[in-house]
Amino acid sequence: MNWYLGRLGQYAIVLVAALTLNFFLPRAMPGNPLQFLAGEDVGLLSPEQIAQVQARYGLDKPLWQQYLRYLGSIFTGNWGFSYQAGLPVIETILTRLPWTLLLVGTSLLVASLFGVLFGAIASWYRGGSFDTSSLVGSILFDSLPTFWLGMMLIAIFAVELRWFPIFGAVTPWGPKSGWPYIWDILRHLVLPATTLTLATLSGTYLVMRYSMLDVLGQDYIRTARSKGVQERQVLLKHAVRNALLPVSTVIFLNLGFLVGGATVIETVFSYPGIGTLLFQAVINRDYPVLQGAFLVLTISVIVANIMSDATYPLLDPRVRKGAS
Amino acid sequence: MSFWRAVLKALFSSPISTFGTVLLAFMIFIAVFGPSLSPYDPREVSGRPFSPPSAEHWLGTNDIGQDIFSEILWGTRVSLLIGLVAASTAIVFGTAVGVVSSLAGGWVDVVLMRITDIVLTIPFLPLAVVLAAFLGPSLWNTAAVIAVVIWARPARVVRSQSLSIRNLTYVEAATALGGRFNHILIRHVLPGVVPLALSQFILATSSSILTEASLSFLGLGDPIQKSWGTILFYAQARGAFLNGSWPWWVIPPGLLISITVLSFVLIGRALEDVLMPRLKAR
Repeated sequence: MNWYLGRLGQYAIVLVAALTLNFFLPRAMPGNPLQFLAGEDVGLLSPEQIAQVQARYGLDKPLWQQYLRYLGSIFTGNWGFSYQAGLPVIETILTRLPWTLLLVGTSLLVASLFGVLFGAIASWYRGGSFDTSSLVGSILFDSLPTFWLGMMLIAIFAVELRWFPIFGAVTPWGPKSGWPYIWDILRHLVLPATTLTLATLSGTYLVMRYSMLDVLGQDYIRTARSKGVQERQVLLKHAVRNALLPVSTVIFLNLGFLVGGATVIETVFSYPGIGTLLFQAVINRDYPVLQGAFLVLTISVIVANIMSDATYPLLDPRVRKGAS
Repeated sequence: MSFWRAVLKALFSSPISTFGTVLLAFMIFIAVFGPSLSPYDPREVSGRPFSPPSAEHWLGTNDIGQDIFSEILWGTRVSLLIGLVAASTAIVFGTAVGVVSSLAGGWVDVVLMRITDIVLTIPFLPLAVVLAAFLGPSLWNTAAVIAVVIWARPARVVRSQSLSIRNLTYVEAATALGGRFNHILIRHVLPGVVPLALSQFILATSSSILTEASLSFLGLGDPIQKSWGTILFYAQARGAFLNGSWPWWVIPPGLLISITVLSFVLIGRALEDVLMPRLKAR
């Protein structure tokens, strides 16, 4: 229980740190913070309009009041206005979030499945041809820039072979309901999800491989074998199950990396998630949106961490006993 | 001196590490001499826009008629420079934090490690994007932003190494006998930490180069001094996939990033293998 409180406290600190950074960045930069909050054309505004914007952001109040107000915005959802679209930032973000969750969720699932599978096979046949080639493959894939991998997949599978669409999450003016709609979404999902999967696969694979090698060296494996347990049973019941434990934590810890990967991959495929929103905000210098996207990505990584902490005892009986 | 001999040996310890060393030497050669070898000034319009590869333009021209081959040669210097500056800044800072944290202990350790954890938890690429967007595009800003987001991991690694050295019996004895702080630091801790910091530096360089490429691809690179990532940003933005120029506009810069990162990874691993067992044995 205490352990959980400690962890939650730590996540709260991370959140406050991200908010603090967001708060001070526009105010610490040279020039008028108004320019970052309300757009480049702030010079064109009349004094009344400026006063209005200042009141909206509370810039007429003392700094500590502004700060407290900003910290509270995490609960009120008042994240400022996009000066490109004129819409509240939180609204823009909420319409984008499902696409990012779909992309990241699919890739996380597929990368975890294949990472565990490959890691288990590689360690079971240690030193074999699969082990060697998958190790080399993981090093090679880790050296590729994620966005360039996506560009290459576009070139091969979308431009040359025309198997998949080049960009977007749905066909414009395409089907909007039923199975054709779902099929359309899946077709658009394949290439970005494959890119993100390939970019994150090696992390899970390497941890699973080392974890399995560690487990395979344990006494209880030898005991099981000498009892005459079938090799299949040793592999599935004893080795894989025990090796999965550290892998589960790494999968969640990699989420920060996955989220970063999603940012560039969404941009490559013009996939309408938070990552593309971040990119468009950079190009338009739309600072409120930029900060909102950063905030929501940080929050999602924190939520994933909390989920990881919550599931850990379910997987490891030793922790469960210690916690109760 | 034996330390550097060990490093040199590590560079050529296996066919794989030799391969990495040769690749890196080649990239450094291009970074140093590329600008004088390049056929055109990459900022200059030297041909018709979107020309395919020809005898005059080996890799064709971009959307405004600049020579892509020259851009790539010049970009090598930019990409490597940012990677090396960012990584060395991050390693110096991270090593300092790790060593101070482990030797000081107490609340200093708690506070420093809390900060390290915060940096490790926040998704690093979005953080870098936000910082870079506010600072504005320039070589040094990009390097600084990358250093800010990557110092935490080496700090953690160095701290645990430094802690284990401090807890060795003879170091504890030296401390108990009244060995001065500086003496313990210079005589015992640093010799154990420096090899680790070196291999961390190599790995940090590879991730710096990848991060720089991502930031530039997201439009945060310096448009005057194009890195490989910036070239790819323009290729994507100017429709290299729609007009069929991707084979010479998209493939070469990406390959060079990959080769450079790979060479650092291979060398980093070789260094770890050669330098770390010695440390474990001590």
